[in-house]
Amino acid sequence: MDFDFGADADALRAELRSLIAAEVPADFLGAFTDDPNDLAIAQRFCARLAAERLLTLAWPVEYGGRGGSVWDQTVVREEMWAHHEPRGAQYMGVNWVGPAIMAFGTDEQKALHLPAIGAGEVIWCQGFSEPDAGSDLASLRAKAVAVDGGWKITGQKIWTSYAEMAQWCVLAARVGSGEKKHDGITLFLVPMDTLGITVRPIASSLGRHHLNEVFFDDVVVDDNAVLGGVGNGWQAIRHALAFERVGIARYARCDRLLSALEAELGDGFDELPHAVRASWTRALVAVRVARLLAYRATHLQAEGTPADTAASVARIAVTQADQLVAEALFQALDSSSLRDKASGAVLHGAVEDHYRYAQAATVASGTIEIQRMIVGRSTVGRA
Amino acid sequence: MDPVLPDYIVELAATARRAFAELGGVDLARQAEADPRARELAGDALAALGALDIDPLADADQALAALALCREAGRVALPYPLEAMLCRHDGAVVVLVDPADPLVDHADLLDPMLAVDLAGQVHHATVAGPALGSRLGPFAVPVELQPHDGFADVDAPATIAWALSSATVLGYVEGAVDLCVEHVRTRHQFDQRLADFQAVQFQIADAVVAASGLAELALFTVWRISELGAGARVDALALRLHAADVARTAMRTAQQLHGASGVAEEYDVSVLCRRVQATLRSPVSSERNLDTLTAAIRQEGFASLFPHGRERVST
Repeated sequence: MDFDFGADADALRAELRSLIAAEVPADFLGAFTDDPNDLAIAQRFCARLAAERLLTLAWPVEYGGRGGSVWDQTVVREEMWAHHEPRGAQYMGVNWVGPAIMAFGTDEQKALHLPAIGAGEVIWCQGFSEPDAGSDLASLRAKAVAVDGGWKITGQKIWTSYAEMAQWCVLAARVGSGEKKHDGITLFLVPMDTLGITVRPIASSLGRHHLNEVFFDDVVVDDNAVLGGVGNGWQAIRHALAFERVGIARYARCDRLLSALEAELGDGFDELPHAVRASWTRALVAVRVARLLAYRATHLQAEGTPADTAASVARIAVTQADQLVAEALFQALDSSSLRDKASGAVLHGAVEDHYRYAQAATVASGTIEIQRMIVGRSTVGRA
Repeated sequence: MDPVLPDYIVELAATARRAFAELGGVDLARQAEADPRARELAGDALAALGALDIDPLADADQALAALALCREAGRVALPYPLEAMLCRHDGAVVVLVDPADPLVDHADLLDPMLAVDLAGQVHHATVAGPALGSRLGPFAVPVELQPHDGFADVDAPATIAWALSSATVLGYVEGAVDLCVEHVRTRHQFDQRLADFQAVQFQIADAVVAASGLAELALFTVWRISELGAGARVDALALRLHAADVARTAMRTAQQLHGASGVAEEYDVSVLCRRVQATLRSPVSSERNLDTLTAAIRQEGFASLFPHGRERVST
């Protein structure tokens, strides 16, 4: 047993931090702001990462990776999340769309999509949730009907992140109907410029690009758009979500912000109310625990062991730590917490941005209630 | 990076679990409260396991073995001062005390004792009276402290003592949560298992998440101590704080979901929830632990992805 990532991983972390320091402005708060230049920064950075084969480090060499270990990928994930995800929306393609295509895709799909994801040239969105199918995803109603040479898809998706900027969508739709709700669910890889797709942004406290509605009106795709076979979508979705739940290293940003704000406060940290300093300590410990649980889930996934429960356990701990940290940071800032980047907030608004984003942590990628259901049911078993 | 417990540690834990079960499991704790001589059975079992030959500061393997045994002992509230027996310095056992009211579990079995307080002061400790015999501290023995003349480098044993007491708490938590899961699976109300109520499942899930996190933190902390010795004092304090926080919530859940059985002595969960208090509250409360930890992080840093503490220590 050894919790040391080793010299190579340490060197990789240092390399990534140097790259971020050189390529990403200190006041960067992610690609999804009102400033289009932030997206441009992320795209340039992705190209740079891809050139170094760092974007898909853990992918096999044949797909544009370095054949790195999951722990190398973990280092990348942590550094990217810690620094406001300068990969922009790329993490979705890298973290789970690519691996899902590797696991379930045809040779043609692999050839078409994996090099593009590896090069950081394409943004994916995820067409899962619907107005009447959020946590109960298997109730989705988007419908795919066979037509000559392909499929015609009709339905509405909601809460779709990056839909305005994405070139491709992993779309879950229903083909026919079966005895169970999961029957017939099929994944399609759909170009977002296909005729019949309409994107409508939803205003949110998170900022721009995080939430959208997407309408599919008689959208026609080829047979080769189906990922993993007709009716096999649920298996791929479960596989994808387990990867996504572990892949979002929120704890790394928590860690960095606790560090940065303490430095910013200087001796003023010691003047904070006792209770605030105490909650700060508990938050630091919670971040460590969340990180260790994420590592446990990562280890199980790497071993090929079913990791659904471990991924949900980690997800609960990570999202709760995220909110605990957000509150501890805000408690330290008093009324200054109301300032954002434009109105002169501390740390260029990084804390304010984190707080708003953290409020959705226990909803995104499956609500905490769904995670509890997964953990609870797997623990108590069936009657 | 390899977060997996070695096979022989897993085997040692399984062997210990069988040995403690053969002693009657939690029943031995009940017996010892009625007749403290029953504690000898626990001592004999531990000796047979080779537990008393383990030096948790010698290497990572022995540190993990000590953690595994304390964890298994906690699962059945084993009535024996295992942690103290494992933390030794110069022929004496090292115990943690609160000088304001120095109480040491099973101190009558420990001689000689070096007692360390939260400030790191070292004392000689001797038994000052009989065990309290109270419901929450049946084996807590008052001790008298005398200043220790000269230098005794007990920082490393004290650090591992904090960690092993946390490992014992982890065992209590896991024991209680397992009992709770078994109870809600088998108990029916309103024509269904308690386990089939979502409100129950959610509470179980939260307890499982808390226990899982504590288990990971315990392994990580013991590994840190094996690497750094007393240099991992902050990590040990952090583990101790988290163990207390988790025990309070997860064991409360375990007791609550048992209904009235949760406070009935014939149910093991009641004994576990009662007996864990001696480990949780002594030598100091978690809030005092928290104060010490907060100051220590500020002074010494906290190993993480980014530097923490006044000196911006990055480890």
